[in-house]
Formats: sequence, C-alpha cells, structure tokens
Amino acid sequence: MTDDIQVWMKVAAFVGGGMAMGFGAIGAAIGEGYTASKANEAIARNPQLSGDLFKTMLVGQAIAETASIFALIIAMLLLFPSFSVISPLMIATYLAAGLCMGLGAIGSGIGSGLPTAEACIGIERQPGMKNRITTIMLAGSAIAQSPAIFALVTSLILLFIDFSGKPVSPTWAAILGAGLASGLGAIGSGIGEGLVAKSGCEGIARQPLGATRVTNVMLLGMAVTETTAIYGLLIACILIFKSFPAAESIAASMALLGAGLCMGIGAIGPGIGEGFAGQSAVKWIARNEEGTATLTRSMLVGQAVAESTGIYALVISLILIFVA
Amino acid sequence: MEELGRIKQLIVPFFGHDMTFNIGVIIMTWAIFGFLLLFGYLASKNRRIIPGPVQVMGELFINQLYGLTEDAMDEELGKKYGPLICALFMFLLVSNWCGMLPFMEEPTKDLNTPLSMGLMGFVIAHFAGIRAKGFKGYIKEYFEPMFFMMPLNLIGELAKVVSISFRLFGNIMGGSIIILVVSHLVYSVLLPPFLNAFFTIFVGAIQAFVFTMLTIVYIAVQVK
Repeated sequence: MTDDIQVWMKVAAFVGGGMAMGFGAIGAAIGEGYTASKANEAIARNPQLSGDLFKTMLVGQAIAETASIFALIIAMLLLFPSFSVISPLMIATYLAAGLCMGLGAIGSGIGSGLPTAEACIGIERQPGMKNRITTIMLAGSAIAQSPAIFALVTSLILLFIDFSGKPVSPTWAAILGAGLASGLGAIGSGIGEGLVAKSGCEGIARQPLGATRVTNVMLLGMAVTETTAIYGLLIACILIFKSFPAAESIAASMALLGAGLCMGIGAIGPGIGEGFAGQSAVKWIARNEEGTATLTRSMLVGQAVAESTGIYALVISLILIFVA
Repeated sequence: MEELGRIKQLIVPFFGHDMTFNIGVIIMTWAIFGFLLLFGYLASKNRRIIPGPVQVMGELFINQLYGLTEDAMDEELGKKYGPLICALFMFLLVSNWCGMLPFMEEPTKDLNTPLSMGLMGFVIAHFAGIRAKGFKGYIKEYFEPMFFMMPLNLIGELAKVVSISFRLFGNIMGGSIIILVVSHLVYSVLLPPFLNAFFTIFVGAIQAFVFTMLTIVYIAVQVK
C-alpha cells in the first residue's frame, strides 16, 4: 500500500509540475508579445528613439515574465520532490500546488504586459517624460504581479505545510479547493490591474503636468481591483488552516471543493470589471483635471458595485465551509 | 528552508487557557517604534531655517503626506488626520523595509500587524463618519439603495478591512518567502540582493503607500 501511495505521489508531482509550467506559460507570453508589438509600432513612428524604446521593451518584458518564473520555481520544486512524508494527502497537495500556481500566473502575465506596451507608446509620444513613465510602468507591472504572488504563497504553503495529522476524507478536497480558489481567483485581478496601469502610463504621456494625480488614482484603482484576488487568498487560507472533522460521506468533501471553485471562478469577472472602471477613470483624470474628485468617487463606487458579485461568491464560499 | 513559517511564540497559561504571544513580532514592532521616536526627536531637535539632513527627511515626509491627505479631504480635516496618516505610513514603510537587515523580521509578515492597522483605520473612519453625519445619517447609509441591501452593505464594509490587511500581508509574506526559497535554490549566490531590492524596497514602499492611501480614502468617504 505504501509503495502504491508513493507511486501516486510521484504521478501527482509530475502532473502538477507540468500543469504549473504549462498554464503558467500562457499569460506571460501573451503579455510579452503585446509589449513587443506596441514597441514595434512606436519604433516605426519614431525611429530616432529606437534605442530607448528597445530598452524599455526589454525591461518591460522581463517584468512581465516574472509570473512565469514563479511557475517555473514551483514546477522545479515539484519535479524534484523529497517525499519525506508519505501520505495520500500529499497527492492532493502536489496537484493543488501545481494548478494554483499555473492558473494564478495567467492573469498577471497578461496584465503586466499591458502597462509596458503602453509605456513604449508613451515614451515615443513624450520622450521628455521617459523617466517618469518608466517608473510608473515599473510600479504598475509590479503591482499587477501581486495576484501571482498570492498564488505563489498558496502553493508554497501547500508544499511545505505538514498535513499528516489530518483526516484524509474531507481534507483532500479542502487542499484542492484552496489551490483552485487562489489560482482561479488571481486571473481576473491580474488582467484588471493591468488595464488600470495601462491607462496610467497613457495618461502621464498625454498630460505630464498631471503625473502625480494620475499616479495616485492609478495606485488606488489597482488596489481596489486586487480585492477579489485577496478574497481568493482568504478562502484558500481558511481551507488550509482550518481542521475539518473526519467525514465518510462525499458530501462534506464536495462542499469544500465547491467553496474553492465558487470563490475562484466568482473572482474572475469582478477583477476584469473593476479593471475597466479604473481604466477609464485614470484615463480621463489625465485629460480633465477639474473632474479628479468626481471621477475618483465614481470610480470607487463603480468598482464597489462591480465587486458585489465577488462578495456574493465570498459569502457562498464561507457558508459552504462553515455551515454546510 | 526550515525557517519557512516558523514563528517565535511565547505561550503563557492563563486560568486554563493558553495565551499566545508572537514574541518576535512584538520585539520588532517595539524596535521600530523606538527607531521612529528617535527619528522624530532628531528631526525636530535643532530646527533651523537651513535644515540638516534628518530635518529635511522629516519635512519631506510631512509635506508629502499632509498634501495627500488635504487633497482627499479638505484643508481643515487634512490638518486633523495628517499626523495619523504620517505615523501610519512611516511605521509601515520601516516595517516593510526592516526585513533586509540581518536578524530582523518584518512585523507586517505576521497577519496580526496588518489586521490591527486595518481595524484601526476602520474604527477611525466609522467614528469620523458618525461624528460628521450624526448617528441617524450614518445608519441610514446602510439601508441604501434599498432596505434589504443592509446585510450586503455590512459585509462590504467588513470586507474592506479583510482586503486592506490581506493585501499588505500577502505581498510582504510572499516577497519574503520568494527571497527565502530562491536564495535557498541558488545557494545565496548573486540573486538575493536584486530580489531584496525588488521585493523589499520597491514592493514594500508601494504597499505601504497603497495601505495609507486606502485608509485616507476610507476616512474621506465617511466624512463626506
């Protein structure tokens, strides 16, 4: 029996590693390609700046690749496992860690490609603001990485925490649910934050005098857009650290798996939607200085309303975990 | 790799229950308080028209953060909440950065610190709201746009505390875990300084700023 479990642990580790890197490669590649296409456009319009633009493109692509590198780290950890603990729960753990990081890297990869692409266009339009635009690009794509960082934290916690004392029956579902909640939940917020950061870069290139107010509202909008990814992380943490009583029936397990799926899938839409709200607010604040206060308020209210479906998902997940 | 997730705890028995103190976090928090008090003392001692280096830094913090607060609220309220915002930002900034030093750990890496900061902002914002609009006006806002939306409005308000504190916690915790794991994988050769520069200095500063901005906005939304 122990040999059997060890074989299945290996299977899970390999499948998990493959999924981590496979899914993790999707987003970053799209983001980097988009950056390169926009850089080409900018170079074609203004060939004298090709040196600067080329440099910006490379720096931006390097940042957009971060999410993929996180996935690579997890895949490497999964491919060379230590197998110090032999337990059927480790099968679920390896699968969940791989899925979580792979799915979590998609959104941030695409998202952090958007501001870097817009930074290339912006520098071509407004070469004098190169330093300011580069700083905003770095800040924007660094924050757009944080959903991927949340997914990475969840996967690493899953890999390094000892589940051996817990009952197998509902805990395997809790582990898989945690991975799915954090991984799927990161997709929407990653893309949404990228949208907000994109119009931040565009706004500063259009209206250099408004750089400070555009930066502030951009950071605010991104922070609010990130909220649903944080709910995903929260549900994942509850599922990992709460101890569930042993249950023979499959219903208890499915409730936990359902909670993870509900929060994960429910967070995709609000993340992108809040991104749209922030994107246009930041874009128009750059052009219309007097409207800053009104636009900020309507952005926050709009994001709060777009987020309400994410809050419904959070409520249902919590009910599934604590009541059902 | 054994350090991952280990917390220095002091467990005191208390009438049949165990009281748990995260002693490492408490020591670090007090060390940062001490540092900030020392910084404040040095910055305000010997104030001159032509300022010294420490005074310049102090003035820079105060000017920028008062400006931010006044932009979001108005002149008068900005003066009132400015000191709170300055203190919050400086505490979070030093907390996020102190992990770079040997034997130091970020207090913000422990969920208790961001959560208490978030709760503090929540209580202050709602207290300010009650004072500005009166108790009746404050309660009425929960029943808008329709009376049955009350539970969702309530959950939405509580979710703000969760999101603001988990955002800081997740980023700082994630950064420190990445630094630890990658340093372990490359045997601490070449990469760790760059990782520290990005995750500790850059991300730490941005997250401290974002937390402060959100606290300002939560207060501003309540008083208006």
